[in-house]
Amino acid sequence: MDEKLITLNNLKIFAEELLKANYTLILQDKQGIRWEKISNSDELHISSKLKPTKASFKEFVFSKTEPIFYFNNKNDGVELIDSNLSAEKMVFFGSKPCDAKSINIMSKVFNWDYKDNFFNTKAENSIVIGMLCEYRDEFCFCTSVNLSPVSSDGSDLFLIPTDENNFAIRIVTEKGREFIQPFLKLFAEGNPETTDQIFKKINLPEKGFESEVIRSWIGNNFEHKYFERAGEICLGCGQCAFVCPVCHCFDIVDEECGYSCGRRMKNWDACQFSLFTLHGSGHNPRHNQTQRYRQRISHKFKYYVDKFDEILCTGCGRCSRGCPVGIDIGQIAKEVHSLAANKV
Amino acid sequence: MNELREKAKELLLNNTVKLIIGYANGNGHNRTYPFIARNAADANRLVFNEYCVNNLAVYLTRKEFKGKGIIGIVAKGCDVKAIIQLIQENQINKDEVYIIGMNCNGAVNQLDNSFEKTTLAQKCINCTVRTPALYHALIGTTKDIEEPADTLGEKIKEVEKLNADSRWDFWEAQFEKCIKCYACRQVCPLCYCEQCIVDKTVPRWIESSAHTRGNFSWNIIRAFHLSGRCIGCGECERVCPMDIPLSMLNRKMSIIAKKEFDYSAGVSLDSPTLVGTYNMKDRQDFIK
Repeated sequence: MDEKLITLNNLKIFAEELLKANYTLILQDKQGIRWEKISNSDELHISSKLKPTKASFKEFVFSKTEPIFYFNNKNDGVELIDSNLSAEKMVFFGSKPCDAKSINIMSKVFNWDYKDNFFNTKAENSIVIGMLCEYRDEFCFCTSVNLSPVSSDGSDLFLIPTDENNFAIRIVTEKGREFIQPFLKLFAEGNPETTDQIFKKINLPEKGFESEVIRSWIGNNFEHKYFERAGEICLGCGQCAFVCPVCHCFDIVDEECGYSCGRRMKNWDACQFSLFTLHGSGHNPRHNQTQRYRQRISHKFKYYVDKFDEILCTGCGRCSRGCPVGIDIGQIAKEVHSLAANKV
Repeated sequence: MNELREKAKELLLNNTVKLIIGYANGNGHNRTYPFIARNAADANRLVFNEYCVNNLAVYLTRKEFKGKGIIGIVAKGCDVKAIIQLIQENQINKDEVYIIGMNCNGAVNQLDNSFEKTTLAQKCINCTVRTPALYHALIGTTKDIEEPADTLGEKIKEVEKLNADSRWDFWEAQFEKCIKCYACRQVCPLCYCEQCIVDKTVPRWIESSAHTRGNFSWNIIRAFHLSGRCIGCGECERVCPMDIPLSMLNRKMSIIAKKEFDYSAGVSLDSPTLVGTYNMKDRQDFIK
């Protein structure tokens, strides 16, 4: 694996050069809320110790709202106008492994039968510069979902702080190699063995559960009373789905601009909303919150794994940190694991 | 804590209540979570401390609990304001709720913080209901607490000083962040509509898209629907993942209700609701 070295100072120059080359740099904001575009390399604010922002960078590859097409009602029929796909070249700078992996995970569903050009174009135009993570709290569980604070899975380049003012950077993908090529003068040669030593010293979050155990338990216990515990206190908001780096459900609605024109919008949707599965007939196959909560867990740990061989969760803990009523998905997975172990 | 658990056990064992909506500790966390106690063993898990930030009154109107017998609820003074408002708005029957009132010494503003003067929740500053106004049992004692300055009032005054364009810019920057997760609505004890206006599609009154225009419609309609009704528990602002200062809107609306109609929501069962009452003395001069 190729590895380079860069000083903090040169990293800022690197950011400056990227801005000049018309890349959009996107970083965790200073308030800890979401990811933001920066316009100046002085705003480059990265650290392996940052707490994950409340929202992930998902919004930039899968917009919270976007037009699919526009329509005009004309005398000779309806005119359809395609929505412009943005050609913006985006760089997610200093992404934690639990965010970096998100594009690859969502890519599976967005390319399963229909190829979603909106997502694909943005994903292709994105470079993920991942970064080793030294943040830990009781909600982190990346090691339980096959990730780790030192995983470069999903990153094109991967930053490793070697001391306060120096970084090693691993070239992970071909895309990353091509991207960094014009800027190599800012980098020195590195030695992967040195960073391997750093990786070994990193404290890993304790593995709380085996995802495979969760998958098979859910398959055999669809009607289990356990789901009622979270279901009865869940208030049915969409916080968990919307801050999640990999939740990808959307709704399609038309917006009128007057009597004869409008646009069709694609908007985030969430399985915890009571309207999510409401049929036009009035029937709702998931008519209570327990069923909706079971769907959330099942989609993440069973259905997505069955279909795409990928867990629909990166263990970032965002949904749990922000849940208005404290439902903690890592804790639930742990409890399900114990239920499975006791064969209840 | 023991007093609370003993009372809960007594109520459950002698069938005074069917269940108790209270708080329990999460596993390994400092935080507390809403918890439904149905038996004596559950009652032993109930806790009450400064991390009990949730306003549990939100559960009283949910179909899992409403109309299913007498429901016990562990409630701080501010939560009781919501219960009073719900009774006045005929959403719950006052004979179907048993209030275990908690004398309260303040709650923390964010669950990650330790409890101290600087992290006291905004709603606790100048609190007048540290002993709830309505209860069936009262537990705990109040003690003097140090309060920081009321910065919310200052923030509102600052924005009021701006001209209309700058005020628009201020709120535009705030609402642009909204992702329409509706955590504000779902956590609100007074947002109990079975079908929210924002979910109506025939016709669609409010755009569901989370663009700035749709976000303005949503947040402003919510503020209007809570005018003269919001009891100021601050839950909407606490749970907003995008940190939109929703309490500014709600506080401003209650300041207006107080000034124009001498009304405060959720204070007493004897004062009829503001928007549900016709009074000949109400101001007419805005009708043109």
